[in-house]
Amino acid sequence: MKTELEHRARPFRGLPAFLWTEVLVQAHEELAMATSMIVQIVLLVFVWVLNPGLIGVALVGAVLFSMFAMGQRVLNEAAYIRIDHKVSDLYLASPLSAEAYFLGISAGVLLVYLAPVVVVATLATVVVHLAAAEVLLLALLAVTVWLISASIGYVFSTAFRDNRAIWAYSSLFFNIFGVLPPVFYPFGLFPAPLRPIVLLMPPSAAAAILQAAIGVTVLTRPELWLASGGLAVEGVGLFLFAAYWARRTVRGG
Amino acid sequence: MWGFGFVRAPFSPAHGVVRAAAGESPHAVDARLPPAEGCRIPPRYGRRTALRRRSGAMTGEALRSTDLRKIYRSKGAPPTEALTGVSMVVHPGERVALLGRNGAGKTTFLRIASTLLRPTSGTIEVFGYDADRTPDKVRPYIAVVPQEGKPFFHLTPREQIYSYLRARGLGRETSKARTQEALDRMSLTEFADRLSITLSGGQRQRAMVATVIATEAPLLFLDEPTIGMDPFARRSVWESLRVLTRRGSTILLTTHYLDEADALSQRLYIIDRGTVLVSGTAEDLKRSVGGTLKVLLPEGAAEVERFRTFGSCVADGESLTVIAAPERLGELMDVAVRSHLTATVGPVTLEEAFLRVVGRSIHED
Ligand SMILES: Nc1ncnc2c1ncn2[C@@H]1O[C@H](COP(=O)(O)OP(=O)(O)OP(=O)(O)O)[C@@H](O)[C@H]1O
Ligand SMILES: [Mg+2]
Repeated sequence: MKTELEHRARPFRGLPAFLWTEVLVQAHEELAMATSMIVQIVLLVFVWVLNPGLIGVALVGAVLFSMFAMGQRVLNEAAYIRIDHKVSDLYLASPLSAEAYFLGISAGVLLVYLAPVVVVATLATVVVHLAAAEVLLLALLAVTVWLISASIGYVFSTAFRDNRAIWAYSSLFFNIFGVLPPVFYPFGLFPAPLRPIVLLMPPSAAAAILQAAIGVTVLTRPELWLASGGLAVEGVGLFLFAAYWARRTVRGG
Repeated sequence: MWGFGFVRAPFSPAHGVVRAAAGESPHAVDARLPPAEGCRIPPRYGRRTALRRRSGAMTGEALRSTDLRKIYRSKGAPPTEALTGVSMVVHPGERVALLGRNGAGKTTFLRIASTLLRPTSGTIEVFGYDADRTPDKVRPYIAVVPQEGKPFFHLTPREQIYSYLRARGLGRETSKARTQEALDRMSLTEFADRLSITLSGGQRQRAMVATVIATEAPLLFLDEPTIGMDPFARRSVWESLRVLTRRGSTILLTTHYLDEADALSQRLYIIDRGTVLVSGTAEDLKRSVGGTLKVLLPEGAAEVERFRTFGSCVADGESLTVIAAPERLGELMDVAVRSHLTATVGPVTLEEAFLRVVGRSIHED
């Protein structure tokens, strides 16, 4: 039988177990799970009342928003178990690597909150008549947005010493990035001079690309490059930074 | 200085846990006990030990810190010098207690040793690996009970222990067996399958300690592990830690319960304002205050001058307490009888010795 010490060269070995721990821990938060789609549903109703023709755009936007909102849950969860429970010490001073710890929390959040997102995505597929390639594009964009938001969430979680401060900032940040820019409504309705800015915000960039793919929005070539290039750079860059940051902040930042 | 340094003799059996003589596996642990998964001595440590043994030099160490300093710098607050140069050694298989007043620097030291905080300067080695420069090499060998930690509220103690062992890379069967053993040891069986949110404070703390004890890691850091526990639960922890050290693990713990340090630790360090004030055994510490016996003379305050030669005297109202060496007890009792005083004799407690030693240091400042 192999010993724990013999596994030291495999710092991700414990990742599935830690991920499952996080799933178990969060799956008990029935209320949080039930309310995870409230903002999306409210915005969908708004759009439907104001212009039922835009419900397809809003449904696609809801999928991307939901993936972005996961970052807020990563932030809350990582900060909660570090500040309130200090169980982070158990894991970080163990053979499990800091990167695996970050991934475990992020993927745990994803698994727990994914089911309603899949329902909305299925609804969007049906309502918008998404082709297979568009479904794949939606999935790719959703994963990229999740990667970015989870990375931001984890990095932010290390900056606080008090959960109260987190409650105040986290919902502000994630709502402003997710609700204000054209995620639930067409990119073309957004004031032209500010469009480059929202093309750098992950959920609205992803929404603009998808809207262009389904023909709701026309993006110029530079806009398309900005949105897709920005997402790619943010996705890879922030994820790598979060992994680096996770390791760095094990020892007090 | 208080006149005593490292007293190693009482721990020689523990030092002998690693049987790394030529021709023997460096992993070998005390043959009297089954080798426990996860508590083997790291290969590097073993090799070093073997080399040192052969060359007749000192044995290896589980932990060694040299002039360890830590200054906390936070925005809007003046820098805090939490450690001002801590040097200490913990030998494999030892149970060592870190004592000190609030804010002395115990947690800071444990966090640095357990790779959760960087020192400002100085060195710290765990089984020969630099804990600051190569924390990843150290982490497989350690496990930590953080001060004021809480288990996951929405896991049961059984789930928490098992999933933690799995996350550390242990196999299913081993994790299951260790989980059950830790639950039994910490008398948690009755609550094993209840969510931790429904447990009392002491039961939760037991779950935290059980989680870490179950790892059987070669070096365990426990920061006030028995806080909030009843006397029975505390003794369960002590016994579990004794079993672990018999199996080859090393324990470094902090506590404010001096009876616990006395009962459990083979050696102790008192940290005061970031530096080691004294180190040695509990007995050494008690002796350093002038004797291991405490004689209480309820009406002796007026006769204090007659007793000064026997040791330190503390008058409190009408009563007088004399700390004396056992050899002089007969003489002291004679003086008490001649003075028509009644006397009660008892052992000096570690708490009394601690109060005197640390109090003296404060007083000297
Ligand atoms: N994050 C921090 N920032 C600034 N100062 C700190 C920080 N953590 C601890 N300190 C200071 O460092 C000193 C040592 O603190 P530490 O927590 O190590 O003490 P301790 O011996 O564990 O005390 P206690 O018995 O109360 O747990 C204290 O003066 C404390 O105020
Ligand atoms: Mg402390």
